[in-house]
Amino acid sequence: MGMLKYFKDIFGGLWNLSVGLSITTKYFFKGTTTQQYPEERLPLPARSRSMIKLIYDDEKDQFNCVACLMCAKACPNSCIKLEGVRQADGKRRMTTFKLDFSTCIFCGYCVEACGFDALTFVSEEYENSVYKRGSLLQDEFAMKWIRPHVEGAEQPVAEAPAPAAAGAQS
Amino acid sequence: MTDLLLSQVKSVGESLIGTDEYVVNMGPQHPATHGVLRLVVKLDGETVKETIPVLGYLHRSIEKISENRTFPQCITYTDRVDYVSAMSVNLAFALATERLMGIEAPARAQWLRMIFVELQRLASHLLWMGAFAGDIGALTPFLYGLRERERILDLFEMTCGQRLTYNYIRIGGVMIDVLPEFMPKCRAFLDYFEPKIDEYEGLLTYNPIFLQRTKGVGVISPEVGINSGICGPSLRGSGVSCDVRKQQPYLYYDQVKFNECIESAGDCWSRYKVRMNEMRESVSIIRQCMDRLEPGPIEAKMPPVIKAPVGSEIYSRIESSRGEMGVHLVGDGTAKPWKVKYRCASFSNLYLLDELTRGWKVADIMAVLGSLDMIVPEVDR
Amino acid sequence: MLTGENIVQLVSGLLHWAYAQAGISSWAGIIDPIIAAVVMFGFISVFVMFLVWMERKVSAHMQSRIGPNRVGPFGLLQTVADAIKLTTKEDVKPVNRDKIPYFLAPIVAFVATFMGMVVIPFDKGMVVQDLNVGILYIIAITGFTVIAILAAGWSSNNKYALLGGFRSAAQIISYEVPLVLSVVPIIMITGTLSLSGIVEYQKTAGYWFIFPQIFAFLIFITSATAEANRAPFDIPEAESELIGGFHTEYSGVKFAMFFLGEYIAVVVSSAVAVTLFLGGWLPVAFLGFLHLPGFVWFLAKLLLIIYLIMAFRWTFPRLRVDQLMDFGWKVLIPISILNILITAIVWLCLYGKGAQ
Repeated sequence: MGMLKYFKDIFGGLWNLSVGLSITTKYFFKGTTTQQYPEERLPLPARSRSMIKLIYDDEKDQFNCVACLMCAKACPNSCIKLEGVRQADGKRRMTTFKLDFSTCIFCGYCVEACGFDALTFVSEEYENSVYKRGSLLQDEFAMKWIRPHVEGAEQPVAEAPAPAAAGAQS
Repeated sequence: MTDLLLSQVKSVGESLIGTDEYVVNMGPQHPATHGVLRLVVKLDGETVKETIPVLGYLHRSIEKISENRTFPQCITYTDRVDYVSAMSVNLAFALATERLMGIEAPARAQWLRMIFVELQRLASHLLWMGAFAGDIGALTPFLYGLRERERILDLFEMTCGQRLTYNYIRIGGVMIDVLPEFMPKCRAFLDYFEPKIDEYEGLLTYNPIFLQRTKGVGVISPEVGINSGICGPSLRGSGVSCDVRKQQPYLYYDQVKFNECIESAGDCWSRYKVRMNEMRESVSIIRQCMDRLEPGPIEAKMPPVIKAPVGSEIYSRIESSRGEMGVHLVGDGTAKPWKVKYRCASFSNLYLLDELTRGWKVADIMAVLGSLDMIVPEVDR
Repeated sequence: MLTGENIVQLVSGLLHWAYAQAGISSWAGIIDPIIAAVVMFGFISVFVMFLVWMERKVSAHMQSRIGPNRVGPFGLLQTVADAIKLTTKEDVKPVNRDKIPYFLAPIVAFVATFMGMVVIPFDKGMVVQDLNVGILYIIAITGFTVIAILAAGWSSNNKYALLGGFRSAAQIISYEVPLVLSVVPIIMITGTLSLSGIVEYQKTAGYWFIFPQIFAFLIFITSATAEANRAPFDIPEAESELIGGFHTEYSGVKFAMFFLGEYIAVVVSSAVAVTLFLGGWLPVAFLGFLHLPGFVWFLAKLLLIIYLIMAFRWTFPRLRVDQLMDFGWKVLIPISILNILITAIVWLCLYGKGAQ
């Protein structure tokens, strides 16, 4: 009967509304899941693609980079410009390295393509906002990073090398 | 004589008290539209006469740019085609290239891909639930959905390093193997999350106000749905079985047990229910995949430079969170594709917005748009 | 012992001593209510600022986040910051507006809702003016907001604001009927329109009216949220609607007055609900040993009802305009009329004709 359905609808509706209210009230008394940012800086996972750095070997006092240009070829946006020279002992070394972070999409192809452990992501550095866009064009001095030595631990190797096909052009 | 008089009186009367329709612009910046979508709405009082979506505000020429990038570099652009469910688009392109070249990824990579794509489906549906409820007026489920989504994104960040644009699923496999702590964390998340789906349903599904706003609104009959080319949960809400995972199984979807979620009413409520059920199915699929994961290689043996054979062409489709995501790939013998085209579900689903909202009220435009799960980056690419 | 009565007597004693000193004792009858009204005005202004903070905090904690917590301890000064922002904003006015209604509408909206607080008893004797037609006065005052909204919508020279104004006005007048009808059984039972009298009746009867009149309570709360244009009935001013509502063309202080007027309407309706249904200043029965003054109980119950109204906003979706009108006319009014009938029948059966 229509009358019965009318009242059933009303009571059913009231019941469902109070179920909804009970859920929000339950969360009202539960804790919050907010990270209070400037005061609480939680560390990012180790694999976070935060900021790209050039590894500087302070024992040999030089960058690991040999200017093979694999990273520049791998980059989808052509952010990397670098030059190198062949030194007297026959080995190549990088002389200038420029990475334009304003076009970088942090895809990680450069880090994967490098076979000389020259580039890495440093997950601790993720606050990279600048006031001038020009500051985002970083050279090897801004990107210099020395791997922290941990007593007794073996030096971390670069991540398992991705297949050479990653990003390589013909 | 009287006819003439009558018609003159009628026209005068109409010009004095007739109402005319006015055009309102729900502009590109709007708190409700799911991105920069502009809707030009012709209204007669409160009733909608016509809705014209104006697209292109988020066009980034991804397809054209991809013609100048190598196949692996194109994967970085697929993240941006649908940034809410980027793993699915990664997978679509990777599968298309693999099928074009006849490569098959190893088993562990396939299982891992399935886990991540289903996790991505969960994340995308959580965001959709929040946006849909927010359009209807309940602002709290948005925050709840984002809270759970953060946990999924933490799982992704732990594995590949990014929370939105992953670049994880590569041609021939995946980028890197999962950490040992991924499995226990994922299981813990699934155990935590499964009861939450029931909780969110308690908040919305049988809420009388929600029912009034969504039941009977925006009804898509199966014939209209099939003829206009919509797909995914929007079509499954009308009773049509169209899940690509069931009909043309890719990865190992034919080896896991899951139900295709179908509702028959075809209104906004059915589409909502389909997606909530899909979340439950995704949880079950992830659990089955985790149980069947064996150690092994994560990337297939591939040539150093990926080249598509001359004259090769393929249209490969997967089921992304929104529906059928297709990639039409044409190769020309070089390392760069000749043509890439992404067939995105949101673009074809958007077509029905006009038809579904004619004769309904303004508030229904938001309900229907939300229920179609439309994402603007997919529409514009 | 500290009770509301003692405080009122103390204060009025002090005041009358002051009048005697100043030699204006004969003016006491005029100055007393003015001072009471000013005190009430000050209290309500601060209370509304507290309420704005409370809404943000309550909504935040319901959504698993922290609300404002930087401006002042626990973010309490956030509303002060918002008020300063609103007052220093540029007052953008449409050129072709209708000047006088445009200027008066926010003032009327603000003042009219304030006037309702005049008859609310915070404790025995703690009212600005205990009119013996208290409820009738409040119901009459709520009618003023309709005028203010229509004036705002019309004078803005904006067809969307006009439409929003019409919708708001239609909503308010159609929800006034269940508001009044839900209060009628209580008036029938107590035989008085005065709010203090109703609380006294609940004291002597030993039970609060929420128990026999639970449906009247629910209808009253629902109609009160609709009167204040709050969710789930806030389609006229919803953020995801294209039609911005009657206050589209207002900015700065004028907008602040509409915004605060909405909160004061919530406070007035909640205060009336507490007085009518929850026993006003009466203590909760089994906690009477705490000997807290009556106004503390009143404020506690008031905050509970306001929390309930805020929970409505953040839990439920919005109703479409036609569904809203449907709900008001086809559900609330029949139920409230049925409630009156049943109350009358039960009363007659229990106590016979003419008993109080």
